[in-house]
Amino acid sequence: MEDFVTTFDSTVDNALFWLTDHAAFIFDGARALLEGLFDAVQWLLLLPPFYVTAALVGLLAWRVLGLGAGIATAVALAACAAMGLWSETMATLALVIAATVIALAVSLPLGVMAGLMPRLDRALVPVLDLIQTMPPYIYLLPSIALLGFGPATALVATVIVAMPPAIRLTSLGIRQTPHEFIELGQATGVTPAQMFWKIRLPFALPSIMAGVNQSLMMAFGMVVIAGIVGSGGLGETIYGAIRTLDIATSINASIAIVVLTMVLDRVTQSLARTK
Amino acid sequence: MEQTDILIDCRSVWKVFGDRSREAIGAITGRGLGKQEVLKEFGCVVGVSDASIEVRRGEIFCIMGLSGSGKSTLIRLLNRLIEPSLGQVLVKGRDIAAMDAATLRETRARHIGMVFQSVALLPQRNVLENAGFGLEVQGVPRDERNRAAEAALAKVGLSDWMLRYPSELSGGMQQRVGLARALTSDPEIILMDEPFSALDPLIRRQLQDEFRQLTKELGKSAVFITHDLDEAIRIGDRIAIMKDGVIIQTGTAEEIVMNPADQYVADFVAGISRLHLVKAHSVMVPATGPVDGLPRCSPEADIDALIGQITATGSDAIAVEEDGRVLGVVTTRNLLLGVRGDAAAAAH
Repeated sequence: MEDFVTTFDSTVDNALFWLTDHAAFIFDGARALLEGLFDAVQWLLLLPPFYVTAALVGLLAWRVLGLGAGIATAVALAACAAMGLWSETMATLALVIAATVIALAVSLPLGVMAGLMPRLDRALVPVLDLIQTMPPYIYLLPSIALLGFGPATALVATVIVAMPPAIRLTSLGIRQTPHEFIELGQATGVTPAQMFWKIRLPFALPSIMAGVNQSLMMAFGMVVIAGIVGSGGLGETIYGAIRTLDIATSINASIAIVVLTMVLDRVTQSLARTK
Repeated sequence: MEQTDILIDCRSVWKVFGDRSREAIGAITGRGLGKQEVLKEFGCVVGVSDASIEVRRGEIFCIMGLSGSGKSTLIRLLNRLIEPSLGQVLVKGRDIAAMDAATLRETRARHIGMVFQSVALLPQRNVLENAGFGLEVQGVPRDERNRAAEAALAKVGLSDWMLRYPSELSGGMQQRVGLARALTSDPEIILMDEPFSALDPLIRRQLQDEFRQLTKELGKSAVFITHDLDEAIRIGDRIAIMKDGVIIQTGTAEEIVMNPADQYVADFVAGISRLHLVKAHSVMVPATGPVDGLPRCSPEADIDALIGQITATGSDAIAVEEDGRVLGVVTTRNLLLGVRGDAAAAAH
């Protein structure tokens, strides 16, 4: 038995070594791509001074949520800067945005296909269940082995964690078109493409938007955990503060995370409702 | 396309639901199995059994039946929302089952409109966009389809509501939009699947009258499904009565009321008022005495009119006259029997 376990372990190790040795160019390329995306978003977010960004986000919150929420948003973001955590906050936001964009680029089409093809849906459900029952930091391991320390690893792990809710809710939304509207489409003589764009999608939109919101929140949770692998941003600040028992800094960073989470959650939720 | 006076010709159509429907159909054609045997032997439900109807140009054809009678299945066989298990449906002379996907879409888009009990107005679109949906699907430019939709909405009296959303409309108004949507594409045939069943009685009567008037005015043909015999009589030129997937009787309201095919139909028509249904020619008897002094009426005069004539003139019989020739007489006794719907007894 012990022999078997040792053999299994060494085989996995060897496979990983073989991959890093022989397929390094793939992973280097992937890493460059992911970090490039992250850097671009981060650069964009840090381009204006903090008060401009805070004011712009506040303005957005005002438009979709109301005046009080707008002011509170701007003030809370300014507080992040006042705590000296502005660049970390924006780094975290950049990670969340990059990860969510990649996750949605995969999960929205996949969810639509699953919604239209029941067999694909049945095949996907156990995979999604597996992804969601595993402790999320598990996904840091293979990525750190292949992509190394840094934001690229954080992005890959975050993307994996963020995909399931968007896939599930998109598929659900596409599947739950009321029967009478399917009949209406058929009786009106719609093409399959028109059936999707004019009938199924409008009914699925609220569910899809709920999925987008959920993915965003999952990405947020993971981005903080990914501080362990040197993601940069608030996660890494907290991880460092815990190791040095710097309670004040860890509390500051936690406040910044709460602010960011609440703003993103409220804004996307209300966008989902108005759609 | 060939101009035919029969727009929908539905020939011995069957619909069998269930996993073993193919075998069941084989047994029905091969061994002449009935509904009950099919259910017992194959576990298949026969939705529509050997139904034949002809819908003529310009007529409103009602299919009346209680829930579970197969009427909703039958109407869906007419535009192939449901595939028939056996039999043929010809729409304007063409077998709808043999059409490829594109031809079927074209036929549904241009020739057969449909109105649903649930209305099914798209909630994200306003009334105008809903009414123009059929033309939008056909790729008609926005201006043109809006013009057509406006015209159709005007016909159903909703010109002031075009920019509202379905949720802002009452049930009766929503169903008018449903009708306008079907009219916008200008189809020859409109399938009405219990469109007014969910409405309250007053609005329902109003819509029934408007629907009949509009259909006649525009020269459309319609197949109208209902569970309400009063509605069928009010709207339909001809009525088919369905029970357990079988069409028991097809005919005009008068034919059905005066000569019910079986006890089931007789029970149904028992409560129906004959005053406007039964005509003089159904209750008249051959003249036995002199008819010179009697008031005159046409063979198409209904009982209500005859009663009016008798009470006004004080005469106890009326001569039925056509082209100056006396066909027979209607006595007060005949009238009373006619009111009761007893055609056979009345004509003695």
